[in-house]
Amino acid sequence: MNFRALIAGGTAASTFFALSGCGGSGFDDSAQDSTDDELTSSNSALTVLYGASGDAEKDAVEDAVAAWSKESGIDVTALAATNLTQELSQGFASGSPADLFYLAPEQIAGYADNGSLKPYGDLLSNRDDFYPSLVENFTVDGEFYCAPKDFSTLALVINTDLWDKAGLTDADIPTTWDELDAAANALTTGQRAGLTFSPEYQRVGVFMAQAGGSLVTDDGAQAVAESSENIEGLEFVRSHLKGGTFAYATDLGAGWGGEAFGKGQAAMTIEGNWITGALEADFPDVNYQVVPLPTGPAGQGTLQFTNCWGMAADSPNQEATLELVEFLTSAEQQLEFSAAFGPMPSVESAGDQWRSDNPDLTAFLDGADYATGMPTDVGADEVISDFNAQLESLKSSDPEKMLTTVQNNLEAVVG
Amino acid sequence: MTTTTLTPKSSSATTTPKQRARRPGSIRSIGDIGLYTVLVVLALIYILPFLVQIATSFKTEAEAASNAVSLVPQTFTFAAYEMLFAHSDFPVWFANSAFVTVAVTIGRVFFASLAGYALARLRFPGRGLVFGTLVAVMAVPQVVLLIPKFLVLNQLGLYDSYAGMILPLLVDAAGVFIMKNFFESIPRSVEEQARIDGAGAFRIYWSVVLPMARPALITIVILSFQGSWNELSHFIVSAQSPELTTLTKGVAALASGQLSQGTQYPLKLAAAAIMTIPVAVLFFIFQRHITNTTGGAVKG
Amino acid sequence: MGVAARASSRVGSRRTSVARRGEGSAGWLFTLPVIVILGLFLFVPVLMALWVSFSDWTGRGSPFSAGTGFVGFDNYAEITSGGGLPERNFGIALRNNAWYAVLVIPLQTALSLFLALLVNRAALRGRTFFRISFYFPSVTSSVAITVLWLFLFSSTGVVNQVLSWVGMNGPNWFNDPRGIVHVALSAVGVEAGPAVLTDADILGVSWWDWLSGPSIAMAALILMAVFTTSGTFMLLFLAALQSLSPDVDEAGRVDGASTWQRFWRITLPQLRPALFTVLTLGLIGCWQVFDQIYTGTQGGPGKTTLTPAYLSYESAFTDQRWGQGAAISFILFLIIVAFTVVQRWALRERGVAKRRMRQYRMTARENGGAS
Repeated sequence: MNFRALIAGGTAASTFFALSGCGGSGFDDSAQDSTDDELTSSNSALTVLYGASGDAEKDAVEDAVAAWSKESGIDVTALAATNLTQELSQGFASGSPADLFYLAPEQIAGYADNGSLKPYGDLLSNRDDFYPSLVENFTVDGEFYCAPKDFSTLALVINTDLWDKAGLTDADIPTTWDELDAAANALTTGQRAGLTFSPEYQRVGVFMAQAGGSLVTDDGAQAVAESSENIEGLEFVRSHLKGGTFAYATDLGAGWGGEAFGKGQAAMTIEGNWITGALEADFPDVNYQVVPLPTGPAGQGTLQFTNCWGMAADSPNQEATLELVEFLTSAEQQLEFSAAFGPMPSVESAGDQWRSDNPDLTAFLDGADYATGMPTDVGADEVISDFNAQLESLKSSDPEKMLTTVQNNLEAVVG
Repeated sequence: MTTTTLTPKSSSATTTPKQRARRPGSIRSIGDIGLYTVLVVLALIYILPFLVQIATSFKTEAEAASNAVSLVPQTFTFAAYEMLFAHSDFPVWFANSAFVTVAVTIGRVFFASLAGYALARLRFPGRGLVFGTLVAVMAVPQVVLLIPKFLVLNQLGLYDSYAGMILPLLVDAAGVFIMKNFFESIPRSVEEQARIDGAGAFRIYWSVVLPMARPALITIVILSFQGSWNELSHFIVSAQSPELTTLTKGVAALASGQLSQGTQYPLKLAAAAIMTIPVAVLFFIFQRHITNTTGGAVKG
Repeated sequence: MGVAARASSRVGSRRTSVARRGEGSAGWLFTLPVIVILGLFLFVPVLMALWVSFSDWTGRGSPFSAGTGFVGFDNYAEITSGGGLPERNFGIALRNNAWYAVLVIPLQTALSLFLALLVNRAALRGRTFFRISFYFPSVTSSVAITVLWLFLFSSTGVVNQVLSWVGMNGPNWFNDPRGIVHVALSAVGVEAGPAVLTDADILGVSWWDWLSGPSIAMAALILMAVFTTSGTFMLLFLAALQSLSPDVDEAGRVDGASTWQRFWRITLPQLRPALFTVLTLGLIGCWQVFDQIYTGTQGGPGKTTLTPAYLSYESAFTDQRWGQGAAISFILFLIIVAFTVVQRWALRERGVAKRRMRQYRMTARENGGAS
């Protein structure tokens, strides 16, 4: 029969499909529990997944990883993610995630819940060197999950040329809301806003903190978004947005505060450590000064951002991964990262060195004393992104209503 | 079959008595001037964005922001292209897109014509069922398959591989329909002689019918090339390694700022312009084929 | 294939009837690749996702592992009546997409028909040029077009510069979450909705917000959709127009009908099959908005460009709620099917139209298979 050859071909094809059908890792995933202190150990090469803010960070991470690989004799591949959260999810679902990865505090609870993460914080030899507030940020249900990679805080960045041009002096550097109001007023012109920042809780939140408010209580057990302090903070921002002395970076046509600031569309911005690298790269001619954020009605307040080095529960070589983490979080290595792309070392032993290396940026490190982190409850990041969506129209909406929504959403996820 | 019959000769349907009275192609009345004005304005609206795009890709970033409209850069710079080709993964993305697109196009042409021929000509038990299933399959919107496709690729161990990126795209029900319709339009007599000569079904398909199917095959080539070159969502859920990133995925990441800070319009527009070139070339090669037949092709 | 061809020629001397009998296996063999691939990458995935939408799978390891439990309609309930963020997000996404569809479908259909009528004239100079111009945006990828659109509609972009020439201050398109109906109302002094509209809500979104209209950002995406699809649909209409019989139009003219009347009474009814195709394709396409959102806005500003398709992706791949993500995609599937059925019913061939056509002695051809 003339189809025999074809049938043979067809059989080969179906065998191929069948083979690929069985070749996967999927069918027999046992959800091993990883609450004990046992680390897996093997000769497997390691994979590190990171999200780079730019080439500087990319090069720094790859150099560091390569250095450790040479020292330890274990192969490591560093992969720059194009979409970190999505790739992490896909990795966990596929059962072969990267061994080590950047992880934001608000993601920990979710991944901890489904057993994707290996909590290893207490196994670190340099455990006690990390800032306690950062350790707290990565502790879920009493378990210290992962080593803080580094951290940043927000401060006020001032364009000194525009400052001088407006006739302002060092004495005018704002230390209170009233002085901020005055300075922004003096700096605002037809084409320029006094102060700019992104329309998100991650920036606007500093005013809520300075007014004494927060989204959740310090122990994270209760939602307190709908407070008069928070309303006061938002009202302050809202009135200035309406008055035109503050402007959202997006309303100025910029992607973020640093861009609007660099382009001279605003004379001041609220940003974190990363702004220094960005300004150097994109707007080297801009002269600026970093000062602490002004004190609000309830005192000083800023927000703190940090990521940790997450370790996969499915990693076949956790022992080596832990060694890599200790290497990457050592004071020496973190100072190198800091020099390369901006964030501050997460270990106290590197603090003094950092201050003397960066005398102009100490305002950022000083913020560590009074900074608030992001809420870490499962689903809190979605509540915040919903809040951010509402903040975009802060100018034309009612802060109290906004906070009521946030409160309702938070109550559903907190506690 | 519409692919061959839709030559532009026949359309006297909309000519008015006045128009019929004079030579075709001449512009006389005020009405005509109005018509051409409308057409030219519309054409400008459709074309200008692409010209602005190309011009902007040669501008400096500052000029792109300050003078977006101008079609001639004040300072002409290749910086964006240099950045793309020398300092980014762009060449890798391009190579991946090219590889996947060629593989998918070849596969689709073969499988669609094979199945189309069987459905048009071969009598086999279950043909109606196969055909009915295909109709049902066409109704499933691709976007709802995002999560499902990831789950299945993952389960099969094809996730994050070329196989996972290519195999699911190899078959497209619409292509089978186009081929089936075409084969039905060929008179059976051409196959009879071959059959009398003792040729088997595959032989008849391969050496008798397929060579006649050129217009329909071109349609499939165009549709699958365009479809897989421009595909985004499937590549998002089928792979994650940087070395498997395609142009669509890479440029989307570039556009949403995941790879950089700042607006970087010249860079993004240059990337978008380059990714448009292959489909544009294909489009111009087969321009006559497309503007005369895509209507028929899409209808299936 | 060389092997197969050689094999078939080796046995080429068999009789025709044998070959005929072999058609059964050949038929299945020829369609096998299509069946296997569609089965494996379409049918099986749908079943798997259906299971996930009824499970509490959290995205680690296989959804078939022992730890995954059956939760019935919980996921569906959470997004349709849960009262929390998932419900509100789903409501917002439906609102956004509904406005998108309501505006895109009529606009793209009308524009593409208009373009087709313009370029269908036999006596048109540069006809090929115009056809190419109008069709070109359709061949480019949605990613490339979105990148271009982000630039054109940026705050200092081309569109706003052109608007400034005529003295208008363009909005900051992709960062403006205000709904256009709300903007129009606030222009006449209505800033907040009446309590009857703001106090009651569906899917966590108040009536007032349902009626906000598409946001300015979404409006830019709507223009983009019209820009990129009108060329394809123009070709569909063009194919239909060219297969119309000139006799009917001629008869109408003899009866003294004006151009406008003849378009409405004669041409349009005959275009019904093409119109149905365009409307159906438009409707299906309009509920699948994903690429543009992924590339351009990620749902922002203020979630006003969030679509069900993107929400489904986001729920699963970034928020680890795979069950809800799968549930959203099935609801979306049902929405698309339902609308297509309704549309088929609404555009069904009506007796009156048929009679009118006969009246104009339409030659029997149902114009070139435009359905």
